[in-house]
Amino acid sequence: MPDKQAKVPSLGAKLGAAIRRAAASAAERPETSRETTRGVLAARSRRDFLLFGAAALATTTVGWWLLPERAKRTWLPGSADRLDSLAARVGLTRMQREANLNRVLTFDDDVAEALFAKDRRVRTYDRADPRPLVINYNGRIPRPEYVAGWRLNLSGLASGRTESLSIDELLSRFTRHDMITRLVCVEGWSHVVAWGGLRFADLLSAYPPAPGTRWAAMRSSVSLDDDGNPDPYYVSIDLETARHPQALLATHQAGAPLTLAHGAPLRLVAPMKLGLKNIKALTDIAYTTAEPADYWNDRGYSKYDGL
Amino acid sequence: MSRPERSPSRRGGGRVAPIDMDNERETQKKEQEQRRAAAAARAARREATRAARRAREAEPVRVADKHDGLVRVTHWAHVALLLGLILTGLAIYWAAPVFRHAPTPGNPRGDYFIDAGHALASLFGVPGDTRYWLYERTSVGPYQLANALRLHWLFAYLYMVCGALYVAGLVRGGGWRALMPRASDPAEALAMIRYYLGVVPHALSRKPWPHPPVVGKYNALQRAAYLTMPLVGALVVLSGWAMHKPATLGWLERLFVNYDGARIVHFTCMAILGSFTIPHVILVIADGWDTFRSMVTGWSVRLKGTPHA
Repeated sequence: MPDKQAKVPSLGAKLGAAIRRAAASAAERPETSRETTRGVLAARSRRDFLLFGAAALATTTVGWWLLPERAKRTWLPGSADRLDSLAARVGLTRMQREANLNRVLTFDDDVAEALFAKDRRVRTYDRADPRPLVINYNGRIPRPEYVAGWRLNLSGLASGRTESLSIDELLSRFTRHDMITRLVCVEGWSHVVAWGGLRFADLLSAYPPAPGTRWAAMRSSVSLDDDGNPDPYYVSIDLETARHPQALLATHQAGAPLTLAHGAPLRLVAPMKLGLKNIKALTDIAYTTAEPADYWNDRGYSKYDGL
Repeated sequence: MSRPERSPSRRGGGRVAPIDMDNERETQKKEQEQRRAAAAARAARREATRAARRAREAEPVRVADKHDGLVRVTHWAHVALLLGLILTGLAIYWAAPVFRHAPTPGNPRGDYFIDAGHALASLFGVPGDTRYWLYERTSVGPYQLANALRLHWLFAYLYMVCGALYVAGLVRGGGWRALMPRASDPAEALAMIRYYLGVVPHALSRKPWPHPPVVGKYNALQRAAYLTMPLVGALVVLSGWAMHKPATLGWLERLFVNYDGARIVHFTCMAILGSFTIPHVILVIADGWDTFRSMVTGWSVRLKGTPHA
């Protein structure tokens, strides 16, 4: 028996042997050399360096084509136009570039959409960031007059009717939910905010959208531009996202009703989307079968914006 | 060839032309012969040159295959992609800097990059508005967020493909083994640092300064650097995804503590990847043509066992 026991290696010894085996297989092998002729080497080098040069030229050309106009004009103010027309001659036009780069955005959006899971909860926090939430909108804050007569207009409903709801109706008819989530801006800043409001999903069950609809076209008709002129803001939200339990139609921030600057009396808070989808001072929701337009997508940004 | 006799007319009174013609023919013939001889000599020389070239081309050479084809292609693609990612990444960073101080009148975001741009521009005596001086030189520029984002995604997806192919090349060619750390690395690394510090003083005083012995493909510092690069590359991709999809990949965001944690890691990785190229290029130039060529063609005539140049 003692004999047999000695033959069974301990776990430590086994582990040691495994590590030694792994180290041996990872050990660098001695360099091997092969014999060839100068002629073969010269021919191979010529081929490889020609390929290298051609690839470098192609990369530089495509790189120039892809550069934003501002960079072209900052870096080579004298010859930007000439280089552009040279690139256009091989088919690398500005229109082509825009079409291709927008395809990149669509691809990235498709990746985000594929990664979306309706049961996955977004991370919540115990406490909101103490500093005040940034007001990042370029336009002016709407004047308070609209709040008194504010209604939420619903269309594209299964009933075939349009509905118009006041804030009191919304607050009294639906359960209020609170959550502390992170708002992430496309610019790169983010902010943990405490929100309160009704679930978008609850509104959807109370006023079901027409069969076959997949999108919510959400709109704020009170939004103003920098000069104070009407500049309606509009976002597209897929109904999968709208039905997510963490997609709120928020009425409160940090325990208090929304201020004018943050979208009184009702805004969307969808923490699984970029901040720019979280439309403030929401006035209209239309359910559609085709994907509606999106304010920032019309200005060169992506559209699905899943985080 | 015999010369034809035309005697009577040769001395015939006053007829000059025939005599001249005769002379001319003679000269022509001589020239022709000379030309033929010269051509033959040239042909012989050409033939000799060709033979010499053939002989040279047939000369055997021993080479070592240093880098797998995939490693070479992705190495160069990485140069272009990294440049594109930095140029667009800093333009995205411009929109919301993560390293910042309290806002000041000329710098409402408290962006240190804008301060650095001001300082550099005034150092070079640049007049006018120099807020974006540094951004205009290190990125595709301010106010380019939408453009920069699209380009950054394009380059980022290509970067991940490039990285995967690089690793595949390391595995296929067995190159990964040369990057694995060894127990002797700390001592070897110190010897290499000592060597690098001594290169310039010894060159100035014309004293010999032998290279420490290198066992294997790379010295300890190279091994550390070349293993760090793909690891930092993986980290830059992970922190990028953490920022890009913090809700979907919540576990990944948590890995970097929070959203800004991922941004700081992403930025730091960029700085490491970018600054690696400076000593890398200097050392390749110092090491010589064979080293550069081996990253294009794959082979090197500098075999192990021969002393390090």
